[in-house]
Amino acid sequence: MAILDSAQPRKREKNLLKRFLAGPLPWITPMLVLIFGIVLWPVYEMVRTSTLDIGGSGAVRGSAGFANYLELFENPNLAGAVSRTFFWVISVVAITIFISLFLAQLLNAKFPGRRFVRYALIVPWAASVIMTATSFRWMLDGYYGIINRILLDLGFISEPIEWLGNADTSFPWLIIVAVFVSLPFTTFVILAGLQTIPNEVYEAARVDGSSSRKTYFSITLPLLRNSLFIASVINLINVFNQFPIIWVMTGGGPGYTTDTTTTLMYKLAFRSQDIGVSASLSVVNFAIVLIFVLIYIRASGFGRKED
Amino acid sequence: MAKKSLRRGAALALSGLLAAGALAGCAAESAEETSSGSSGSTGSEAQTIRMVAAQYTDDMQPYYDDLVERFEADNPDITVEVEVVSWNDIDQKLKTMVQTGDLPDIGNLNYFSSFAADGLLYRADELIPAETLDDMVETFIENSKYEGVAYAVPDLASARLFFYNVDIFEQAGLTKDDIVTWDGLQAAAEKIAATVPDVTPLALPLGPEEAQAEFLIWAASNDGGYYQDGEWTITSDANVETAEYLQGLVDAGLTNPAPATFNRTDGAFALFAQGQAAMLNGAIFLPSVLEEQGSTINYDVAPFPTNRADGESITLGVQDYFFGFKNEGETNKEAIQKFMSFLFEADNYAGFLEAAGGFLPATKSAGESLSSDETLAPYIAVLPNAVFYPGTEASWPAVQGELQQTIGLAVEPGADIQAILEGVASQAE
Repeated sequence: MAILDSAQPRKREKNLLKRFLAGPLPWITPMLVLIFGIVLWPVYEMVRTSTLDIGGSGAVRGSAGFANYLELFENPNLAGAVSRTFFWVISVVAITIFISLFLAQLLNAKFPGRRFVRYALIVPWAASVIMTATSFRWMLDGYYGIINRILLDLGFISEPIEWLGNADTSFPWLIIVAVFVSLPFTTFVILAGLQTIPNEVYEAARVDGSSSRKTYFSITLPLLRNSLFIASVINLINVFNQFPIIWVMTGGGPGYTTDTTTTLMYKLAFRSQDIGVSASLSVVNFAIVLIFVLIYIRASGFGRKED
Repeated sequence: MAKKSLRRGAALALSGLLAAGALAGCAAESAEETSSGSSGSTGSEAQTIRMVAAQYTDDMQPYYDDLVERFEADNPDITVEVEVVSWNDIDQKLKTMVQTGDLPDIGNLNYFSSFAADGLLYRADELIPAETLDDMVETFIENSKYEGVAYAVPDLASARLFFYNVDIFEQAGLTKDDIVTWDGLQAAAEKIAATVPDVTPLALPLGPEEAQAEFLIWAASNDGGYYQDGEWTITSDANVETAEYLQGLVDAGLTNPAPATFNRTDGAFALFAQGQAAMLNGAIFLPSVLEEQGSTINYDVAPFPTNRADGESITLGVQDYFFGFKNEGETNKEAIQKFMSFLFEADNYAGFLEAAGGFLPATKSAGESLSSDETLAPYIAVLPNAVFYPGTEASWPAVQGELQQTIGLAVEPGADIQAILEGVASQAE
C-alpha cells in the first residue's frame, strides 16, 4: 500500500514532465520570462513606486496612497507640459508623415543616382540623436551659431538671435529637429509600402484614363494605409517619449517653457528630488500613450479589415 | 530533417532557460555578496566597505588606488572598494543606491541633509576621531549639521571671486577700484559697452548648470539670500531688488542676451576665455579652466561688487561632504572610521587636495600650511565673509533644483519676479 502510494504520484509526475516537455511551453518559456521580466515587471514597479512616499535621499518612507498623484495634479507646470506634449506629438508626426510622403514618392521614382539619395536619407537616422541635437544646439547658439552667421550675411536679420533663449523660437526648432530625425524611418516605411502596390493597378488606372492626381488619391494613398498606420503609430510613441532632443537643446527651459511630460518627469525626479511624483507622472504618461494609440487604431480602422 | 530541427529547437529553448536561470542565479549571488560584505561582524573577520567618491579631476582614481593599497596593507582585514563617479552622475547614482537599498558605506557629495533626514547617516563624531573633528574649520562643521547635529564632514571647499579682463578694462579706462559697488559695476559695464562694443560687458550665467550659485552671489551682495537667521527668505525684498537690478543690466544690453539658458561652463567661462566677456563671477577653479582651454587672456581677480549696507564684499563658499551610511546592525562603523581617519592623516589629506586640484582645505592644519600659497591667498582672505548654501536644510536640494530651472527667468525684462520667487519658495518645506 505504502509502496503504491508513493509510486503512483511519482509516475504521474513523470508523465506531467513528459507532457510539459512535449508541449509548447518549453519553447515559449524564455519568451514569457522576457516579457514578464522586461515588460510587465517594470510596469508593475513603476505603478508601485508611484504610490510610495520617497524622501529626497531616495529612501522609501512608506506608502503614500494617491498623495503623489494629488501633488502632481497641483503642479503648476503640468498643464502647460501636457498641452505642449499634445502639440509636439501631433505636429511632429503630421509634418513628418507629410514630408515623408513626398520623399518616398521621389525615392520610388527612377532617376540616376537614386541609390545615393537613398543612402543619404539614412544619415540622420544613423547618427546618434544626441549628436544631432548637440550639433543643432551649437548651430543655433547666439554667439557662435552658424545659422545666425548665414542669416546675418544674407541680411535677413540685423543682429544675432538667441534662438534657444526663449520658447517662441526654440520650440519650433525642437520640432524641426524632431522631424529631421524621424524622416528616414517614416520615409522608408512608406517607400516599402509603395513598392508593394502592384503595377497592374496603375496600368488599369491608366487604361481607364485616370489623371495622375486621381490615381494618387484613389489608388496610392488607400493602398498605403497599412504603411501609414505603422509609420504613424511608431512615430507617435517615439516622439511622445522623445527625451534627448529636448534635453540637449533646451533642457526644457528656459524655466519649464519647452518641457513635455517626458522631460518634466525627469525634472521632477532629479531636480525637484521627488521620485514618487515623477513615477506618478510616468504612469500618467503611460496612460496617455495608450490612449493616443487606441484612439489612432480606432480612427484609422486598423484591424477591422480582418473581420 | 524535421527531427533534427526539432532537437535543435529544444536545445535552443533549453539554453534560453539555462541563461535565464543563470541570470537569476547571478542576481541572487551578487545580492548575497553585498549583504555579506557590509554586514560582516565587527570581529577580525574580513570586511569590505564601499565608497562612492566624486571625480573632482582625473587624478582622483589614482589617488584612491594608492590610498586604498596603503590602507589595506595596514588593515589586512578590511577591503575598500572606491568607485570614482563623475559629477554628472554621482547624485543620481547615490540616490538610486539608496532607493534600491544597495547602500555604499561612504558617500561623497555636495549635499547630505536629505540622507540625514531619512536617518541613514552616522554622526560626524562616529565618522572621524575627535582630534580630527576638532581640526575642522568651524564654519564648515556648522554647515554639516542637520537639526543641530553634524552628520557629515567637509572634504574640501571652494570660494569665489570676481574676474575681469585686464586688457578690456585698460581699453575702457577702468581699474579694479571702479567696480567696488553695484553702481560702479553698472557704470563700468556701460563704459565698456560704449568703448569696446564687440564684447559682452558682464557674463551672467543663470542657466540651469549653476544658477543657484550665481543668483546667491548677487543676492547676498545686496543683503539678501535664500535662508537667513533660521528662516527661508527666498521672497524677501532684497532678493526682488537683486533681480530688478540684474533685469536692468540685461535690459540695457550689458549682459549676454538670454541669461536663463546661458550656462556657466560652455557659456560664461568660454566667453571669458575667448576675451569676449569683460567681467564675470568666477571661482577658485576658473584659472585651471582657462588654462585647459588654452586661453591667453590677461585677467585679474577682485572682490564681488557690493550693494550691502555695511559696504563689505561677500563670497560664496561651497563645501562638499563625506558621510557614512549605516548598515544593518551598524557593523560597518569601525571600518568606515578607520578609513576616514586614514584619509584625513596630514599627508593623505594633502594628497587628496592635490588630486582634487586647487580647492580650499577643510582642516585648519592644512589651511595653515596652504596660506602662503599665492593663488589661494585671496580666497582664504575672503572666507570670513563667506555665505553658504542652506545645505543643512533637508529641502535644499529641491529648492536648488527649482532655482536652477526658473531663477534665470526672473532677470528677463518684464518678468514677474515675485511669482518666480514664490514658485521657488514653494519647494522649501
